[in-house]
Amino acid sequence: MLLFSGVGKSCLLLQFTDKRFQPVHDLTIGVEFGARMITIDGKQIKLQIWDTAGQEAFRSITRSYYRGAAGALLVYDITRRDTFNHLTTWLEDARQHSNSNMVIMLIGNKSDLESRREVKKEEGEAFAREHGLVFMETSAKTAANVEEAFINTAKEIYEKIQEGVFDINNEANGIKIGPQHGGAGSGGGAPGAGGAPPGGCC
Amino acid sequence: MPSSDSDDFESADEGHSSPTKRERKKRLSSSNYSDNLESENELKKVQPKVASKLEASKDKEPVVNNEGWDDFDIDEDTIQTSNNETEVKNITSKTETITVSETKDSGWDDFDDWGDDNEVKDQEVKPQTIRDNIAANEQVTQTKSQKDEPKASWGWGWGVDSLLNSATAGISTLTTQVSQGITTVLETGIGAPDPEVLARMSTKNETENITEDRKTENISDTFQLGSLLSGVTKFVETTGTKVISGGLDTLETIGKKTMEVLQDGDPGLAKKKALLGLEEKPVLSQILREAKDRADKEDSVKEAKREAKEVHYETLFDDCEGLVHLEALEMLSKQVSMRIEEKLRNSEPSKRQDIKETLQQVSELCEMPEEDEENDITEGISRPEGLHEKLLKATRDIGIKLQFQPLIKQYTDVLNELSTDANPRGTYKLGVKSLAHSTALSVEIYHKMAEMLLVKNRRSTADEADAVTQMTVVLTKHISDLASHFTEKLSEISTENKEDVNNYITNIFLEAGNSSKYIENAFQLTVPIIQIGAV
Repeated sequence: MLLFSGVGKSCLLLQFTDKRFQPVHDLTIGVEFGARMITIDGKQIKLQIWDTAGQEAFRSITRSYYRGAAGALLVYDITRRDTFNHLTTWLEDARQHSNSNMVIMLIGNKSDLESRREVKKEEGEAFAREHGLVFMETSAKTAANVEEAFINTAKEIYEKIQEGVFDINNEANGIKIGPQHGGAGSGGGAPGAGGAPPGGCC
Repeated sequence: MPSSDSDDFESADEGHSSPTKRERKKRLSSSNYSDNLESENELKKVQPKVASKLEASKDKEPVVNNEGWDDFDIDEDTIQTSNNETEVKNITSKTETITVSETKDSGWDDFDDWGDDNEVKDQEVKPQTIRDNIAANEQVTQTKSQKDEPKASWGWGWGVDSLLNSATAGISTLTTQVSQGITTVLETGIGAPDPEVLARMSTKNETENITEDRKTENISDTFQLGSLLSGVTKFVETTGTKVISGGLDTLETIGKKTMEVLQDGDPGLAKKKALLGLEEKPVLSQILREAKDRADKEDSVKEAKREAKEVHYETLFDDCEGLVHLEALEMLSKQVSMRIEEKLRNSEPSKRQDIKETLQQVSELCEMPEEDEENDITEGISRPEGLHEKLLKATRDIGIKLQFQPLIKQYTDVLNELSTDANPRGTYKLGVKSLAHSTALSVEIYHKMAEMLLVKNRRSTADEADAVTQMTVVLTKHISDLASHFTEKLSEISTENKEDVNNYITNIFLEAGNSSKYIENAFQLTVPIIQIGAV
């Protein structure tokens, strides 16, 4: 996942992989990983999720990881307008350094904090529409939509694989066939799309 | 006669699954019905191949019998293959209630016609196998018919009855279904038989049936059905073509005639039922026993697979995120190498040489030290505290904070677990798992180190190179220590199966070698990251 410090990427990931919420999280250094098996279309797929650091300092490093992603979650924090304002930069960065077919989902996290909301849901929807992304608001705390966000991204990647958009024999796009190894790309491609869903984070 | 009043073909079919089944069984037995008496010699003449198998089957009649039974429910081997008409029925439930002889014979006639069919001919056919299949089938059938004869007679009535009721519906679909059935059979490729051969066999067989049936006819009440069969068979044989071309009347006649014969020949029904009940018991238990054996076998295969996975190093390494860290490190390393190349390309020729020399110097700094130096670096690391101390010492000048706690904790846990009593297998499993886990944690350290070095503001190449090299020495030694703990433990455990233990020990050493390679690999991937700090 790619994005900013403190928007809740790592929390989202933890919620998805471990089904728990941990409000205090160490700053992500470079990239950290999470993995979960899911079933799409009757097939067991290992989603290997690359949780990239949101801090600006790690930006040059996290960029090297985009290339391997089949999908990405671009996460902002609905209670912080600045994270939303930075989306364009992140999106450009992600598109520039990744596979052009990478599936990107826009996530407005912390939907449980309605009272502190700074970014309207409609704004997120509009941004997603404009840039051809799928949009969803989630809460890592209440787990609302977390499952859906990851699994929908994985499904979209899966469909792209079925359509032949992704060359599954080329590991550079984060998809690996095999009993075990996940590829890169959050979203998840065939067995394992590890990935750097861009997203902001805890 | 369970469904004698039923006009509805489908409901008769669905509502009487067990009669259908019985009927199917009967179908098999009746197809070779009269082989009963003179079976062996006759069969030998027809298919010399059968002889040996047949004899074998005679010795173990129940078993063979059983196989035959199984084949009805579980689609297996030869019966379905060679008895295409049975297959046809299985495929299309609609035809299932059409009686034996009718379907069979018309089926065979169809085969004769289709012998000329290109599609059929195109299939790969191995006559030898077919003959074997047929032979096996025959032999099964035969033993069956000897035993199950009573069953055959009482199940018959229902079949005939449904023939009567369903003749109209059945005949129209018969031809297509048979053809579909055959195609399916051929496609499924269960040793697809050549229809011509089959047809020839069956004709021969049936001719014999008829003659024998005649002899049988008067022998006893029990064999009444034989005459029915031969009557029907003969009838159908002579009118076969008509049947195919849609002779509804013919079928109806057959049905009526069958009914007549059957009603006449069924007074022994109760007796037969009793016989059947007795017969069925051992067969059923046999089926159950075999099913259980089969299930056990499958379970043990599954278990073996699961076990194999449990000690599969790569899988364990991946589970501990070792692979993904290595992959990420690889990505960083590649990108950095590309940046170095670019730098070389873009610099002036005079400077280019300097850069190359610097790179070379860094590489030299990253060479593994001599063995006596190593001892100094790794002294006392066989205990967790010692390991931690040496790792910290090795990396004290690197300028970043590395996390060794997970590795130390894992080591502590492993040693605790190892000190408890265990069997060789368990110790071995723990050994492989620990090696994979330690290696994964080590690779993670290299990966984190690379990331942190890349974002470090002030690089100190010499210190970094020295630290990474020393750390690699410590980690590699740690792996071999870990392996030793397990091999020693394995040698200590007294066991009867010394060979297994020796294999375990060998494998532990192999996986330790594997681990060292991963660590070495991670170390080499880190070198460019140190190099780029110097240029």
